[in-house]
Amino acid sequence: MAQVALSREETTINQLKTRFPEAIKEAKVDRARRVTVEFDSAHLIEIAKFMRDELGFDHVIGIAGVDYTTHKKIELLYFTASFSKPDIQDLIVILKTELPRDNPVIASSVSIWESAHFHEREAFEMFGVKFEGHPDLRKLLTLDNWDGPPPMLKDIKFPEMGQR
Amino acid sequence: MTTPAETKPPAPPITVSKTAEPSTLDVSVGPQHPGSGHLRLLIRVDGDYIVSVDPDIGYVHRGCEKIAEYRNYVSNIPHLERPCIIDAIHLNWGYVLPIEELQGVVVPPRGQYISTIAAEMNRIMSHLYWLAINAGVFSGHTTIFMWAFGDRDLFIELAEMLTGARLTYSFLPPGGPRRDLPSGFEDKLTKLLDYFERRLVEYDRIFFSNPLVIARAKGIGVLKREEAIKLGVAGPVLRGSGVKYDVRKAEPYGAYADLDFEVPVYEEGDSYARFLVRFDEMKQSIKILRQALQKIPKGPIARKAPLVAPEGEATGRVESSRGEYAAMVIGDNSDKPYRVKIMNASFRNLIALPYLIRNVHVADMPIIYGSLDYWPVEADR
Repeated sequence: MAQVALSREETTINQLKTRFPEAIKEAKVDRARRVTVEFDSAHLIEIAKFMRDELGFDHVIGIAGVDYTTHKKIELLYFTASFSKPDIQDLIVILKTELPRDNPVIASSVSIWESAHFHEREAFEMFGVKFEGHPDLRKLLTLDNWDGPPPMLKDIKFPEMGQR
Repeated sequence: MTTPAETKPPAPPITVSKTAEPSTLDVSVGPQHPGSGHLRLLIRVDGDYIVSVDPDIGYVHRGCEKIAEYRNYVSNIPHLERPCIIDAIHLNWGYVLPIEELQGVVVPPRGQYISTIAAEMNRIMSHLYWLAINAGVFSGHTTIFMWAFGDRDLFIELAEMLTGARLTYSFLPPGGPRRDLPSGFEDKLTKLLDYFERRLVEYDRIFFSNPLVIARAKGIGVLKREEAIKLGVAGPVLRGSGVKYDVRKAEPYGAYADLDFEVPVYEEGDSYARFLVRFDEMKQSIKILRQALQKIPKGPIARKAPLVAPEGEATGRVESSRGEYAAMVIGDNSDKPYRVKIMNASFRNLIALPYLIRNVHVADMPIIYGSLDYWPVEADR
């Protein structure tokens, strides 16, 4: 039987699934160059270490929080990519995890990806996600002019800006 | 009930304060605007040396991502391109790409070329702004400030001819650019590029090969290749440290796949290398613009895009003047995005500030800061 050549996206997914059969909940190729991997938040550090050391995803482009009020969860998306491996430079692997809305806590990935430093600080102040082990978890953007709850949560509304 | 005075946050630390270490002082640089934009650098100095820097940003934060959830897809464009007005086309394009992906709209080839022309003109304008302020003024070189600002205006006039606005164009709604090339635009741009190419030779002689500039920038603020990768910096800062990465090559968008150009890379990683990357990028932009004018196909410029985006997530990215600009858009079957996440180069390059401005003379700080081309408003959003 002829072996069908796997795309780089599928190879990445297979490697992650073989290494972490339990931690990876779902993984799919969104389109060429985009992969979304849903994982259990307790395994962030192991997955991040594997991604960096074995697969070459050496930095994060950004960390996005998304608040889903109806599902009572906050999704955290790590956009990871590679500089050091030219053949996968164009891939973005989106690591996605769910956190409970009332107490979003996750380990800090700064020890693996130093580039996550300010992105985690931003997610902390905008969504209230606590990154355990972050070296300097302080407010960043809203330091002196916002003392309310994390402003990017969906139940913080600004009626003067219109309907949502 | 609390009075407004009681709810006010505590006053920021005073400008100069003594620290535990007897020989050091904490000095606040900013947030007033000394040419840097509105950010505060809390620097700890020991005599003439900077021991450490704590960047305090957010003075121009206006909650773009929150506002984006209240506005429909098209009316988000003007405020999402405002964070970096000198680079508006790229911010606009980076936000529109994921929307087009969600909607399944494909911009026709002529539209792609017009967007590319506008984007490369914008890159030259942005680099000229950097050259005038962040390189010229910060190194005390007034001539290059005048020259670069003067030449930038010629490009601004052409951009106005193309888009109708000098800086904030809102030129690329989903589906393609708003206007076709006006009559006479090709000739004017060709003439301007010929003029600008001659000017770059003069720029080189007065600034980039100037022994004073070299003495101030060479070997200052070195970011090694491994450090640049580890910190995940973007754009000319990354390429000045020897990493060959450019979104236009890695993931070609617009018309870049058809066009022939180089990605300038310097291995040194110092401020001067970052200067040269931007200088060479302007030359490459001239090359791209000439080819684009030659190869531009005939046909429609835009497709009609729906006002609503279906459910789903999409991430698009462009190479803005400061580096990779990525945007994620989550649609929910309405005319407003459920979530927009902006990942821009200035916010990523912020981490290089405390890294580079360390164990250097106070006088080197403006040069290092200028070489990063950090744009506070873009980082704060």
